[in-house]
Amino acid sequence: MLRIVTYSLLFVVTVLLQVFLFDNLSVSIYLNPLIYVAFIVLLPVDTFAVWLLFAGVVMGATMDFLMGTAGINTIATVLIAFVRPFLLTNLYGRDDLRDGGVPSPERLGHHVFLDYLVILVVLHHAVFFTFEALSWSHALRTVVRTIASGSVTVAVVWLLTRIFTAKFVARL
Amino acid sequence: MRKLIEFIRSVYVVALFVALEAVAVGYYARSTCYTQARLLARSNAAAGAVHGFSAGVRRYFSLGTENKALLERVAYLEERLAQYDEAANIARLRKYMTEIGGSKYRVMTATVVSNSINRTQNFITINRGYGDGVVPDMAVLTPGGAMVGYIIDCTDRYSVAMPVLNTSFRASGKLEGADYFGSVYWDGADPHTVLFGELSKYSEPKLGQEVVTTGFSQFFPEDVLIGRVERVSMNETRTAFTVRVRLAAEFSKLTDVILVENRDANEIIGLEKSEGVEEYIRNE
Repeated sequence: MLRIVTYSLLFVVTVLLQVFLFDNLSVSIYLNPLIYVAFIVLLPVDTFAVWLLFAGVVMGATMDFLMGTAGINTIATVLIAFVRPFLLTNLYGRDDLRDGGVPSPERLGHHVFLDYLVILVVLHHAVFFTFEALSWSHALRTVVRTIASGSVTVAVVWLLTRIFTAKFVARL
Repeated sequence: MRKLIEFIRSVYVVALFVALEAVAVGYYARSTCYTQARLLARSNAAAGAVHGFSAGVRRYFSLGTENKALLERVAYLEERLAQYDEAANIARLRKYMTEIGGSKYRVMTATVVSNSINRTQNFITINRGYGDGVVPDMAVLTPGGAMVGYIIDCTDRYSVAMPVLNTSFRASGKLEGADYFGSVYWDGADPHTVLFGELSKYSEPKLGQEVVTTGFSQFFPEDVLIGRVERVSMNETRTAFTVRVRLAAEFSKLTDVILVENRDANEIIGLEKSEGVEEYIRNE
């Protein structure tokens, strides 16, 4: 029960941060960090694949509605929600995952968590920017946008993870 | 038996994933810039208040420069007005005004509540809608009179405009002082410059020359400043110039805009689609 409340709060916080802070950066076309992936990244490691997909659709559709992007956010977010279980199994091993817990440097180890985070963010951003550009003639620009925005997203999500897990431990 | 359930479960997830992605990709494939603007206009009913607040804060910090730009504009218009007063016989002017029932253009101001420049499909949301008399196709200009874009969708209290910084944007432009025209569009690269293509190779664009709108557009009045020529190159087939134009409007600092409606636009469009004209097209 506590879990549902905490994750609803995380959902609201990431959406607000994305829409009212990161969408208004207007610094450069290369800087468009999509930090709301934090919600998918931080779902408990033992979440069922179906629930992950459901979370991906809800988050993606919300962002599409608020950013006016007609489906690109959903495409990218559902994809990473689908890939997540396979990625965790490959990086960390299946057995220990059944015990649950929030994906974090403490739970998975710094190295594994960073790999997990970077792969999800890069995959998400690459799909998002490719669909947004819809042309291979801008391939180089898409790569630069993915790397620049992706690094900012990784940094922000890492920070969010620290805050989120710190709170979680304190409450328990 | 457990293996079977396990198998069904994994296939079920994959099938659900494929179905969801198919729906999302299908929706995106069928969407146009108008769909996106409609989404933004609807979501503004919820997000508008907070956007309005942050726009208010941003606006406060730019009041100084804004004021200066407005004063310059006022001074310029005062000068124009003075010239008018001298040149035109007041009685004839009054007669002229009553005959055409006011000016061809209707002008109002609005405040920008949200604006992006870091996407390839950027949109601007402003705080006026149908309730304030805003309608789609109105031109959006900066307080200094430079081109920004045009309105594409409205709700009661908000409108969404497509700025020139949107790869779906098209407008016709011409070189100031010459009658050669071409089309103005954005390649999605630099939010300070746009491209001015299909410009006749017989024209002689000079660096720093002004590019303005033509009177052909159903959105923009004639001679609205777009920007200045920055770089000139020939296109691949060497049939026309492609000119890179530095925008006169500073999009990252846009806080207030002017909206202009062409009252004759509907009449002109109606005439172009009238039976007389249509018949002629069919016979061809």
